[in-house]
Amino acid sequence: MPVCRLPVTKNPRNKKSCLATEQSVAARCPFCLTPYMSNFIVHFGQLATGLGAWAGVKTMPMHAYANPARFLSIARPVTPWLFWGGLVLIVLGCACGLFLTPADYLQGQTVRILYIHVPAAWLGMGGWTGIAIAAVMQLVWRHPLAAIAGRAIAAPGALFTAICLVTGSLWGRPTWGTYWQWDGRMTSMLVLFFLYLGYIALGNASASNGNAGGVSRVTAIFGLVGAVNIPIINRSVVWWNTLHQGPSITLRGSSIDGAILWPLGLTVLGFSLWFGAIVLMRMRAILAETKVEARMQRLARG
Amino acid sequence: MNPWPFVIAAYALTFAGTLGLSIAAWRAMRAAEQRADSLKRDR
Amino acid sequence: MAMTLKAKHQRLVLALVALVALIGAGLLAASALKDEAAYFYTPTDARTKGMEPGRAIRLGGMVVKDSIRRAPDGVTIRFAVTDNKATVPATFSGIAPDLFKEGTGVVAEGAFDAKGTFVATNLLAKHDERYMPPELEGMTYDDKARDDMARTMTVAK
Repeated sequence: MPVCRLPVTKNPRNKKSCLATEQSVAARCPFCLTPYMSNFIVHFGQLATGLGAWAGVKTMPMHAYANPARFLSIARPVTPWLFWGGLVLIVLGCACGLFLTPADYLQGQTVRILYIHVPAAWLGMGGWTGIAIAAVMQLVWRHPLAAIAGRAIAAPGALFTAICLVTGSLWGRPTWGTYWQWDGRMTSMLVLFFLYLGYIALGNASASNGNAGGVSRVTAIFGLVGAVNIPIINRSVVWWNTLHQGPSITLRGSSIDGAILWPLGLTVLGFSLWFGAIVLMRMRAILAETKVEARMQRLARG
Repeated sequence: MNPWPFVIAAYALTFAGTLGLSIAAWRAMRAAEQRADSLKRDR
Repeated sequence: MAMTLKAKHQRLVLALVALVALIGAGLLAASALKDEAAYFYTPTDARTKGMEPGRAIRLGGMVVKDSIRRAPDGVTIRFAVTDNKATVPATFSGIAPDLFKEGTGVVAEGAFDAKGTFVATNLLAKHDERYMPPELEGMTYDDKARDDMARTMTVAK
């Protein structure tokens, strides 16, 4: 539900622009064949995050991939597809967002930062959701790869949170008139960044201490506790008066016109695939390092 | 206020971060997997 | 086997209870912070809570249509901020952000004077969650800005 803390003067165009959204998407977007595609783009973010997490937990027999060899036989061929597919979609989406879409009626050209700011925000929060899911799998099912997955997710998650903060700051100066204000949304997002730094430090310190490259259980608990911040970030603009505007994209639909919205689908999908590729690369690196270390220890023991 | 310096800076920083982590993650993975493979051959 | 299954279930229950407790604690803390964490006060807050003059606060709301008046000195502007329940007069001397316009959101930093006028030392523009191309709004961004400006100027004269 699009909620605006400020009472918006009743806008009779609101309804019209919703109708116009569907028409203009069909007319403008070369990749969208039907107006219904706009709905697809709107719901993609939430659906992908939810389904991905659900499928990861549900369809995988808990210990089917516990054997690293089995995991690697799938991760090895998938990595380049995710990586290059993601990169191509990112470049395509950014090019469309920079050159093909119209400027916003109020903000002008600055609105183009949307196409990187929004995926960065979603993936920064999605990354910590992944850390929390991995933590549950590590603590409850003792899944050996979960501890490694949590550690692998942290770096790209922290990067996207940083990108979200920096691009948001660069967006704020020409529109709001300030680089930074301590409002609920910005403060809670900065807290997420510091949580990532803490998790990375804890994880790196514990990984080589008999945890076979994964994070320790204390670190996993930290990841679970930190997840409290995710709903707070999401609801901050609804609960509190903030400088940041309310949510544009919700389960009900989007208050971003289709003509401006469509490249966002490309960049969200692209950054998500790339995120997956980085996680797989880092998991492969940690598994290989662990293998070498175990071998060295065996040799040392003679 | 001219918006383009802000838009270009935002995109440039994002691409720098994305490429930086791509290269770092790929190098770390390749180095680690090569070491693991060479161990196998030594055996 | 039965033992391990049981231990696993124990851990699952423990994790779920911990998660529920955590989320409950988070929600409680957030609702307790509701007033403290507010980034700005609305005109209604200013009326009901009785902001004493001189106390530095932020005031947020919509700039009332046709309320911007430019003083003869060229830098001072007078305008009204509303949340549709209460309206507060405000003044500001300086450079306002490009998005500061009638009918859009504003967050003003400053304090009330003795007469109940909010004297702003800094203005921030707040926009809402709608994004659309200029054609849908009826006119282009520049046209709209010029139109607003012209109206403001004629009223000020």
